[in-house]
Amino acid sequence: MRDRLAALMRKEYRHILRDPGTLFTLLAVPLFLLVMFGYAISLDVNNIPLAVRDLDRSPESRALVASFLASGHFLPSPSPPDSRAEGRALDTGAAMAVLEIPDGFAAALARRETAPVQVLVDGSDGTRAATVMGYVDGMTMRFSTDLRRLASMRSGSPPASGPAMVLDVRPRVLFNQELKSVSFLVPGLVALILIITSVISTALSVVREKENGSMEQIIVSPVRPIELILGKTLPYAAIGLVAAALVLSASAILFGVTVKGSILALAAMTVLFVLACLALGIFISTLAETQQVAFLISAMLTLIPTFTLSGFVFPIRNMPPAIQAVTYLFPTKYYIEILRALLLKGAGFGTYWHQALALLVYAVVAAAAGAARFARSRRK
Amino acid sequence: MSRIRCMITKEFQQLRRDRRMRPILIIAPVMQILILGYAADTEVRDVPLAIYDQDSSQQSRALAQAFVSSRSFLVADRSSSFGEMEAAITGGHSEIGLVIPPSFGADLESGRGAQIQLLVDGTRSNTATVAMAYATATATSFARRLIASATTIGAAGPAVEARTRVWYNPDLKSRRFMIPGVFALLIMVFTVILTSLAIVKEKEIGTLEQLIVTPLARHELIIGKLAPFVIISLVIITLTLGASWLFFGIVPRGSLGLLYALSLALVLSTLGMGLLVSTISRNQQQAMMFSIFLFMFPMMILSGFVFPIENMPAPIRALTYLMPLRYYLIIIRGIFLKGSDLSVLWPQLLPLLGIGTAVIGISIARFHKQLD
Amino acid sequence: MASAIEVRDLCKSFGAFRAVDGISFSVPQGTVFGLLGANGAGKSTTIRMLCGLLAPSSGMARVAGCDIAKDPEGVKRSIGYMSQKFSLYEDLTVIENLRFFAGLYGLAPRRIETEAGEIMSLTGLAGREASLAAELSAGYRQRLALGCALLHSPRVLFLDEPTAGVDPAARRVFWDIIYRLADSGSTVLITTHYLDEAEYCGTVTLMHAGRIVAAGSPGQLKRERFPGRLVEVECDNPEAALAALKADPRIEEAALFGTRLHAAIAPGAGELIVEGILASRGVGLSRAESILPSLEDVFIRVISESEKEDRP
Repeated sequence: MRDRLAALMRKEYRHILRDPGTLFTLLAVPLFLLVMFGYAISLDVNNIPLAVRDLDRSPESRALVASFLASGHFLPSPSPPDSRAEGRALDTGAAMAVLEIPDGFAAALARRETAPVQVLVDGSDGTRAATVMGYVDGMTMRFSTDLRRLASMRSGSPPASGPAMVLDVRPRVLFNQELKSVSFLVPGLVALILIITSVISTALSVVREKENGSMEQIIVSPVRPIELILGKTLPYAAIGLVAAALVLSASAILFGVTVKGSILALAAMTVLFVLACLALGIFISTLAETQQVAFLISAMLTLIPTFTLSGFVFPIRNMPPAIQAVTYLFPTKYYIEILRALLLKGAGFGTYWHQALALLVYAVVAAAAGAARFARSRRK
Repeated sequence: MSRIRCMITKEFQQLRRDRRMRPILIIAPVMQILILGYAADTEVRDVPLAIYDQDSSQQSRALAQAFVSSRSFLVADRSSSFGEMEAAITGGHSEIGLVIPPSFGADLESGRGAQIQLLVDGTRSNTATVAMAYATATATSFARRLIASATTIGAAGPAVEARTRVWYNPDLKSRRFMIPGVFALLIMVFTVILTSLAIVKEKEIGTLEQLIVTPLARHELIIGKLAPFVIISLVIITLTLGASWLFFGIVPRGSLGLLYALSLALVLSTLGMGLLVSTISRNQQQAMMFSIFLFMFPMMILSGFVFPIENMPAPIRALTYLMPLRYYLIIIRGIFLKGSDLSVLWPQLLPLLGIGTAVIGISIARFHKQLD
Repeated sequence: MASAIEVRDLCKSFGAFRAVDGISFSVPQGTVFGLLGANGAGKSTTIRMLCGLLAPSSGMARVAGCDIAKDPEGVKRSIGYMSQKFSLYEDLTVIENLRFFAGLYGLAPRRIETEAGEIMSLTGLAGREASLAAELSAGYRQRLALGCALLHSPRVLFLDEPTAGVDPAARRVFWDIIYRLADSGSTVLITTHYLDEAEYCGTVTLMHAGRIVAAGSPGQLKRERFPGRLVEVECDNPEAALAALKADPRIEEAALFGTRLHAAIAPGAGELIVEGILASRGVGLSRAESILPSLEDVFIRVISESEKEDRP
């Protein structure tokens, strides 16, 4: 059995090596995504174009503007000359927020009154807008606190209380202390690579043999189904694991995303996930007769859900219950949760055993379904 | 002209016979907008919160209540120790922890000022940042109420207050922003995939050779191939518009006519990209790989669909100018949310048309070479 | 008579590989011209250049008066082409395929209907207008493909392996159609590897490794290559017989055809020498008779000669 298996696997490796398109997909795409995720994209709310219309032109108003720009969240965009231009800046997207400081700002502060400033926020992207509003609140509060301290120092009287002095909020970030998006995205990326290599390549390579008739040739040989399936899938699994290891080490070296938990557990869980993926790939290959259909089915069952329904980018908890129920059908969700626990939190098995169990059940069910369908197609 | 009409008739006759394709064309866009519309929600709300109240005074309960009644948080756990709270966060049951120290009530009474601690799970970095800001804001407004109610705490001093007005999407619904994006994404995916298969399919079955020996000119072939897809994409646009109105109640604020017209400008460039893929690939398999990995992935990541362009470093930001979807996303979000008209959108329309013409020009040129 | 096709020193290279290596020939108007050769001899590449599908690397060719390099579109207007692979739309019906190609050749709508009707009766497709092309048998598909290439009454018709995979009866029908076309003044250039079919051609040209190694009418080729007699031999040990015949200087050529041998005898020698040679080697002869050479004999001879030349 070992010889036959080795022969099958050697053949599969040759297929892979002679098909530069596939190799390109398996290696270049994950690399491209990693570089993009690491260097190019982040979901942080920064570099918000802010237009300032300062009607007061006092040292105080300039100090307020300076404190906004010094926060690092905002980038200055051209000052609108009038209120119509403020609206237009938001319409065209030249600015996402407009700060208007009215005439008399400094005078009100001098009278120890509360001086209002107006902030217009483009609410199109609700989530970013909410964060921008939080920044604005935080900054005006800090500015007020400084003002009061300054005023009390000048007058010698005890400082008037601001909310910040009444209640001091001390946040502490537990995992991913620097709040880097890349740490959050790497687990999803690893899952994506494994999906592409294990599910899609497996399904396509089996269906390709069906399409060009070489499957019949193999079936009439003494090869047993289990050998056939292992021989077709193991090479891709190996490539997938190598690619995943590459991405994990690259993200550790380039972005400092190191594995907090046990490496052994990470390896074990990854193998479990790959098994589930291979089983799914085999199952898909029994559904499809042409590569085109196999590709469409695997895209529908794996690629798209990995992006949308696994918590990779969009939080599952926001989805309505019906869609949340759907997310349980895709293995990626479990694996991403395990990876985040292991990579970022260093959690123990106690925290993710549900997910591990779900993966195991998934692998067994998909393998059984695939084997049943495969056996039926052989008899036909 | 009559040759182009002839090509178009043939394409529709073929489409009419393709029993597997028609349901895909109708059901898939509606399904996708449904699932993505519900799934692509980046709002930070109902963040699972663990509260560890070491004080149990009237004030500490009032502070906890302020968090409970906030829409942003959902109390998932009442911890009785630090260890318990950390376990809740590590296990993912809570993403943020509020620790109220034993002296909280007393500190507030005395006017010394009290401290609270927030433990934040930074795994999901963007949610964590927002949740942290929300928690701070909730605590601050609690403190403001205290100041307002208590006369003992001292006189008011100079302060700045931001009066914030939100335009276009006042209740900050994420869906209103994401659905137009999903809409754009769907048009892109369908047009690129459909056309990328269009020519390579004829190459595979050998009919392309037969077409080339006829007097059919290159541009006639390309236009004849593209025109049916323009009509199909109009159908897809109408279906997705209908679905987002029906399921999410989201309708464009601006002109529908303008939306269709500018969508055609996007379709021009995405069809061109599909054609380019079709002329450079040898078989359908390759065409699908090329269109997904060379066009769709970069377009999804570099267009501003989910990842903000302004966060990208300059060289990569330069790349985004090559993505037709970048311009179209601004257009479609402008029309949906802001009711923008052409006077605002023309700077987006011009590059979109430019890219479309260039890509179609390149694929016509490439197509000619391909025969040699 | 004017030449419908005129080819001079035509070459086509793919990288270092010379698929067509300096061929020249001309085809008079109204004749059936056969281009023969094994797979990879350069037949399809030649046809594709003449149809304007491939640009020649060097050399010149005129088809229906148009230079294929300078005016490929002019060529396309006056030719019909039927490629090796069945290349019509299987998901269109017979009449839809015909209408589509008629439209591409710019026929006026009224003419499309009359032409399509004529083509249907010429090719025997009448009554099958509404069948999908996918439902037709191989023979009918070939006739439909031919019909699509004929709609615009082309002056020159290129048929690349048109009868591959078609049963003998259907091939006969197909050739009847080709003769009718030639009689009405069309020029037909056809490639085939059925050598019995090549006998129907007015002129045949044999290609080998990108070059023309023989050309002429079938009768002329046979006379030229076999000036002496050709003897067919049946014996109990064909292999030993072949070696014996090849070794004898009076036998110009000997080749094995299944279990039989064909031996070409040098002019002047009698056919009885075969019996003598075999008897001297102890091979038991069961039959030896003089036959007329077929094109197959001609080609085996020509190709073995040209290979000898290539390896001096």
